Amino acid sequence: MPVLLWFLPAFLVLLMLGMPVFFALLAAPGVLLVLDDQARMMATLYRNVYSGMDSFPLMALPFFMLAGELMNRGGITLRLVEFSQAIMGHLRGGLAHVNILSSILFAGLSGSAVADTSALGSTLIPAMEKNGYSRRFAAAVTAASSVIGPIIPPSGIMIIYAYVMGESVAALFLAGIVPGVMVGVGLMVMVRLLADRYDLPKAERVVHKDQEISAAENVVSFILLRINLGGVLFGLSLIFTGVLGVTLGGTGRWIAFAAFLVAAHFLLMALRARVSHDFRLTCKKAVVPLQTPIIILGGILVGVFTPTEASVIAVAYAILISFFILRSMKLRDLPAILTKSALGSSTVLLLVGAAVAFKTVVSLSHAPETLAGFILSLSENPYTLLFLINILLFIVGMFLDAGPAIIILGPILGPIFTDIGVHPVHFAIIMSVNLTVGLATPPMGLVLFVASSVSGERVETISKAILPFLAVEVLVIFLITYVPAISLTIPRLTGFIQ
Amino acid sequence: MSVLTAPLGLLAALNTAVLRLGRTLAWMALGLMVLVILIQVVFRYVPFLDALPWPEEAARFMMLWMTGLIAPSAYRWGGFVAIDMVPRMLPVRIGMVLNLAILAVSLLVLIQGVRLGWADLTGLGGRFDTAALWVPVHIDYAWQGMLLPTDINFVAEPTKIARKYMMASLTLGLFLMALVNVELILRSLIKLVNPDAPVDADPDMIIAGAD
Repeated sequence: MPVLLWFLPAFLVLLMLGMPVFFALLAAPGVLLVLDDQARMMATLYRNVYSGMDSFPLMALPFFMLAGELMNRGGITLRLVEFSQAIMGHLRGGLAHVNILSSILFAGLSGSAVADTSALGSTLIPAMEKNGYSRRFAAAVTAASSVIGPIIPPSGIMIIYAYVMGESVAALFLAGIVPGVMVGVGLMVMVRLLADRYDLPKAERVVHKDQEISAAENVVSFILLRINLGGVLFGLSLIFTGVLGVTLGGTGRWIAFAAFLVAAHFLLMALRARVSHDFRLTCKKAVVPLQTPIIILGGILVGVFTPTEASVIAVAYAILISFFILRSMKLRDLPAILTKSALGSSTVLLLVGAAVAFKTVVSLSHAPETLAGFILSLSENPYTLLFLINILLFIVGMFLDAGPAIIILGPILGPIFTDIGVHPVHFAIIMSVNLTVGLATPPMGLVLFVASSVSGERVETISKAILPFLAVEVLVIFLITYVPAISLTIPRLTGFIQ
Repeated sequence: MSVLTAPLGLLAALNTAVLRLGRTLAWMALGLMVLVILIQVVFRYVPFLDALPWPEEAARFMMLWMTGLIAPSAYRWGGFVAIDMVPRMLPVRIGMVLNLAILAVSLLVLIQGVRLGWADLTGLGGRFDTAALWVPVHIDYAWQGMLLPTDINFVAEPTKIARKYMMASLTLGLFLMALVNVELILRSLIKLVNPDAPVDADPDMIIAGAD
């Protein structure tokens, strides 16, 4: 057996012994290159670390991280929680539902499960405890729902996957929407089932009294809400007319859009009479923050900007609303926010660089062919192989964070499954969702640790309480695996994949 | 013991000062990246303005420097992802020895990286220029009174920025990480000799996650 084939076992041994992934990715192939008398390849290894980081698409990572951080510090999280409370607080197990809905909404602003856990956990875990939930249950719901963060776009994990595998970021973003919502709905169903068993408190519809909104925000929300609703109606009409085979010309489209704006206005005015003043203001205050996913996805879909540019627009929008509309941030807050985002993204960028270097040795070693041969010898049925690979990914996810796992395993596993007919975007979603759920699985789950530090509950206790929710997420993973339409329909309808 | 504590004190003070400067430059680089890409979008879409050739490369330049300058801080504060299950399961002292061994291997990786990086900087690769980054000698404004330059027009002899100034980001980053690594080794050695030795945490420490 050639020496280089040992790179994967060597890497795993170093990793299990506690070496940081970045160093293990470089030390394992480095040592083997020396042993294999190929020390000259070391320079290539180094150059690949550099060129692996030197990428424009990858730049979306620090930008989305920055946008999320700005939104969180600017008080946007609290608005989303209040909005969720007003919508779902009255259900049995209300605050647990609020926690999950907030995660879904927060996922549209941030691409990180860790940010989700720390932002929502610090607000919602104490609130849930005060309302009669056990702390372990509150922490478990927070951790379980935070994995929605990197599944619904924007998503740091999908940016990494797209970069490492040469896929389209936009296609992966669009493919993640339905699976992310499915995880959220699944978790809500589980909360409802657990509500009777654990006698979860029945909450009242929580609408915070004496809500205030600035005149500027009031006007902006008024206009945006009509554009959003009018836009949705207009979009639906385009799909409907498309089905009927009718195409509208340029002027016709503008007239239709204007008509839908008017319709949206009257619809909202009719709704206005049915709800309380405070409920209306709570919803209105969520309008400006929730434009972020619309701007990001809208911009990418229409082709106005690339995902990296969309991430910068998200940053600019977050700055705009935090400074000028919400007035919740000052110039002196910026250095700390920029530093935190730079810190978080620098480790990921280095990891990506090291993984790209690792890949050069992977290709030298012919390991992918050997591994592919082994996997294909297990079964020829793609469904059986997908089942087995899901189990492998789940086990990997228990020990390794999603980013590094994707970087290491993506280039090895991706081509095997594409060759047996699995759509590359479908496989990307299976892998991303599975490894993202791994962030919340014991013994090594990043969000479990964050939930533990936010709540003060022990990791072991949260690990037990999270099991029913993990069961739901595993079910969703298998649904995504065996029903490709769940992930592929939206990118297909929008023309991002064939 | 003072054989270890004296150099540790010096090195820790040096790292604290240098990394603080690194972080300041890094957050500025991130801020500039945002600005530069916004300029790129604006120039592409605002009528009468031509798309600019340099923002993308300038932003990559700054992203690499941001990483090189702040990653050593992340390393110092334990921000590099690792699985510490096995070291924690072992008896304390054996775990410490294992940790030292891991730090030593990491130091070898870093030294090798700095060596290769230096060879690259001073070798053939470093002699090339960047594709679109010029040293601005003179900026012409197409219309008087405009806030933004519509075209950076180099009247004097233009000089392109050499790639080595971009490549130096990783080399310097690895060098600073090597300094941090030596500090961590000294700390581990002290802990091994005297488990009750006081640990002075970095007052600037921030915890940041990415996934």
